[in-house]
Amino acid sequence: MKTLKALLLALSALLGTARLTAADEVNLFGWSEYIPQEVLDGFTSETGIKVNFETYASNEELLSKLVAGGGAYDIVQPSDYTAEVMIRRGMLAPLDPAKLPNLRNIGAQFRSLPHDPQGKFTVPYMTGTVGIVVNTEKVKDPIKGYKDVFKEKFKDRLVVLNDNREIVTWALYSLGLSINDITPASLAKARPVVANWVKLVKVFDSDSPKTALLNGDVDIGVVWSGEAALLWNENKKFHYVLPAEGAHMFVDTLCIPASAKNKDAAHKLIDYIMRPEVSKIISDKFPYTNPNLAARKLLTPEQLANPASYPASNTARTFRDIGTAAADIDKLVTDLKSAQ
Amino acid sequence: MPAATPALPVSDHSRPGWKAWALLAPMVFWLLVFVVIPGIILFVYSFCERDEVGGVIFNFSFDNYRRVFDPVYLRIFARSIGYAGLTTVICVVIGYPVAYYIGRASEELRNRLLLLVMVPFWTSFLIRTYAWITILKQEGMLNSFLAAMNLGIGPFNLLYTPTAVVIGLVYAYLPFMILPIYGSAEKLDNSLIEAAYDLGAGPIRAFSSVIVPLTMPGIAAGTLLVFVPAIGMFAITDLMGGAKVPMIGNVIQNQFLQARDWPFGAALGVIFMLMFALTYVILQRRGSRSTA
Repeated sequence: MKTLKALLLALSALLGTARLTAADEVNLFGWSEYIPQEVLDGFTSETGIKVNFETYASNEELLSKLVAGGGAYDIVQPSDYTAEVMIRRGMLAPLDPAKLPNLRNIGAQFRSLPHDPQGKFTVPYMTGTVGIVVNTEKVKDPIKGYKDVFKEKFKDRLVVLNDNREIVTWALYSLGLSINDITPASLAKARPVVANWVKLVKVFDSDSPKTALLNGDVDIGVVWSGEAALLWNENKKFHYVLPAEGAHMFVDTLCIPASAKNKDAAHKLIDYIMRPEVSKIISDKFPYTNPNLAARKLLTPEQLANPASYPASNTARTFRDIGTAAADIDKLVTDLKSAQ
Repeated sequence: MPAATPALPVSDHSRPGWKAWALLAPMVFWLLVFVVIPGIILFVYSFCERDEVGGVIFNFSFDNYRRVFDPVYLRIFARSIGYAGLTTVICVVIGYPVAYYIGRASEELRNRLLLLVMVPFWTSFLIRTYAWITILKQEGMLNSFLAAMNLGIGPFNLLYTPTAVVIGLVYAYLPFMILPIYGSAEKLDNSLIEAAYDLGAGPIRAFSSVIVPLTMPGIAAGTLLVFVPAIGMFAITDLMGGAKVPMIGNVIQNQFLQARDWPFGAALGVIFMLMFALTYVILQRRGSRSTA
C-alpha cells in the first residue's frame, strides 16, 4: 500500500512538471559555478517561469554547441571575444531596451566595449581581470609586473592559469606588443619569453588556482581576479596586483541567441539579474567586479575594499576574437611545455 | 546474412538464426550508434579543415595527419606511452601477487578481498584524486606524518611532479589489473602445479614455467585495460602533475576546448585508436602463441 502511494505521488509530481508549457520556461546555458541557484529560484517563485539551467566550462564548448545547431537556449553567457564572433555571425538577437529597465544600473564604461560597441546585443554579467596574487608572508620582494614574477628565484613557486592564450598574452604585454593582433612575427617574439616562463611554473591550473596557493605549494600566482578575491577573503596575506605592463580584463555577458524560442522570458530573467538586490547576491557568492553600480552600493565596505574585486586603477584590455590564430597559440605553448 | 555455401557444411547451431539476432539487436544498435557512427565521424573530420569559430569545413586534406607527425606531437605521444608503460609494469608487479593470493584464498575470504578491491569505485574518481592531493601536498598528510614520526626523512616535494602522476595512474588503474589476473588465477588447476613439483621443478621454475603461462591471458587482458586508457588519461596529469608536461590526452582535449581545431583533434584521436588496435593485435598474438 505504502509503495503504491509513493508511486502515485511520484506520478502526480511528474505530471505536474509536464503540465508547464513552453511559455513558462526559459532555457539558460551558462558558466558552471557562476550563477547562484537562489537567484534562479527567486526568479521562478516571483514570475512562475521555470529556469532550465545547463552549464559549460569554456567559451569554446558554448560555441561548438551553438554552431552544431543547438537552438534550444534562450539565454547564453559568452565572454567578450566569443560574443564578438557570435554577433559577427548573426548568432545573437538584438536586445529590446524597453524590456530591460534595469539596464540603467550598469556602469556606462561597461556598456560600450569593443566586442559590442553600442551594447545592442549583450549585457555585462560580471567582469574581472587576470592579475598577480602574492603570498606576502613568503615573498618580500616588491611585485609589480610579469617581469617580477617570472624570475629564476621563484622557480617552482608559481601557479598560473592553464590557458595558452593567457600565457601568450602576458608575454606579449611584457614585450609591449598588441595582445589582439596575433601574427607569426609577434608569436616568434613571444616564443623565447614563454619558453623561459613555462620552465619556472610549478602548477598550471585554470579551474582552481587558489588551491595550490592555499595549500602552500606555491607562493605567487597569475590568476583570475575572482580567485584572488576569495584568497584575500580567506587570508589578508594574499595581495592582488594588476601587472604594470598591462592586464587582461574579461567581461562575461548575458545575451539571447537569434534562435531563442522564448525571448520574452529571456528578457525578464536578464532584467531580474540586473536588479541591485539580485546582483548583490551574485557578488556575495562570486567576488568578481560587479558592473552593476546600483548593486555595488549595497555591498559592505569590506567587499568594496577587496583589491582583487575592485582594483584601484583599471586600464586592463579585453580580448578580441583572433580566429584561427588560436590554433597557432595552442601549438606554440604545447611545444614549449613539452620541450622541458 | 550470407547464406552458407553447400561446400561448407555448417550445423544449424553455429549459424545465428533470427532469434539470436533479435537478442543481439540492442547490443548491435548500441555499438552502431555509440561506437561505429562516432568513429566514422571522427575519421571523416580528421581529413577536414576548420573555420574560425571551430566549425568543420569539408575540404579534403592530409594536413592534420602531417601535423600529427610533427616532432612536437610525436614526442608527446612517446612520453604518454612511456608513462603508460611504466604504470602497466608497476601495476603488474603490485597487482599480480595480490590477484594470485585472492584467487587461491578460501571462498569466504576471497569474496571479502574482492569487495575491498572494488570499494574505491563507490566514490567518484575525481574525489579520490583530490584525496591524493591532500596526502601528497607540501603541508599534506604524508609530510606531516613523516615529521611527526621524526624519522629524519622528508619532507618530500611530491605533488605536481612526474612521480605524483605515476602514483595517481597506478592507483587509478590497479583494480583493472588485479581483476583479470584474479580471474585466471582462480581457474588455475592445482594438480598442474603439483605435477610440476613432482617432476622436480623448484618454486621459481614452477612459477615461471607453469603458473605465469597459465595466467597469461589475465595478464594480457589487464595490460590492455591499464595501458590503453593510461595513455589517454588527462585528468590525473592536470590535477596531480600540475599540467606541466602535456600528455596526448591533454593535447586532444585542448583541440576541442581551447584551440577550436576539431579536425586536428580528430586526427590525433584516429591515430590513438590505431595504437589501441595495434596493442590489441600484439597481445592477441602473444596470447594465442602461449596457449598453442
